[in-house]
Amino acid sequence: MKILSVDDSRTIRMIVKRAFAPFDVKVIEAGNGEEGLAVAAAEKPNLIVLDITMPVMDGVTMLGKLKENPELKDIPVIMLTAESGRENVAFIAKLGVRDYLAKPFQDTQLVEKAQRVLTLQPKPVPATP
Amino acid sequence: MNTLVELEPAISAAEIVQNVFSTMLGFTVAARAPGHLNPADDRVSGTVGLAGESITGAIYVHLPEALARSIVNGMLGSPLDQDVGDDELHDVVGELTNMIGGGFKSALCDGGRSCAMSTPAIIRGVFAIEVPQDLRVHNFLFDCQGTPFSVEVHLKSI
Repeated sequence: MKILSVDDSRTIRMIVKRAFAPFDVKVIEAGNGEEGLAVAAAEKPNLIVLDITMPVMDGVTMLGKLKENPELKDIPVIMLTAESGRENVAFIAKLGVRDYLAKPFQDTQLVEKAQRVLTLQPKPVPATP
Repeated sequence: MNTLVELEPAISAAEIVQNVFSTMLGFTVAARAPGHLNPADDRVSGTVGLAGESITGAIYVHLPEALARSIVNGMLGSPLDQDVGDDELHDVVGELTNMIGGGFKSALCDGGRSCAMSTPAIIRGVFAIEVPQDLRVHNFLFDCQGTPFSVEVHLKSI
């Protein structure tokens, strides 16, 4: 199972990786929407955790392009936003994303949102020699 | 004391800052009486700009470097005294500023003052912010791990 984290902040990408570390999930990364589209096309992730405000291509533009692509349009997306005001939440709701998570957030909140979309399995314990 | 009373009574600077620090870092932050901190040589500051039809401004988060480095380790889940590179420092302070700025921006928007927020920028060292006369400056002081830091909110109604 693959989760794509698209965020211009390495810190947030690291937090996303850390959140899913206990699970049998490969977290792949992109630093902006343009990179995110390329990685999504190449890797076909099971879920995309997408920041909104990014340089080069923002998350809203990336989401629009995902929805235009028949091969990518059904990949569920959780939007991350630092702006949790009513206006912004209403705007996100209209974008066709599966869910959103307002920053600041705890790792467990992100996992909880992802589990509404995916069945996360614990990482297998390596066999002892 | 820690509220932008003039613009929007619901905006509590202390709530916004404490929420970010406790959720992302597990750090306790105490609000202090409003005032000014002397800029330290080793200050690390993050800033975001706000722009809307009825309001414009900027938010600055000023952190002494030692506290900023503890924050990096807190955010990344590393021992608080672990060495931190400048790239990590700038990324974490930028994200922290983005979250604090997002809190103010959301409260302003909920109060009917829609605005957009820029991506964060980082400033290092001693600097002075030239403030136009028609801009209101709100200085909020906090303590974290026994170290003072400040959040400056510059707002102008249009």
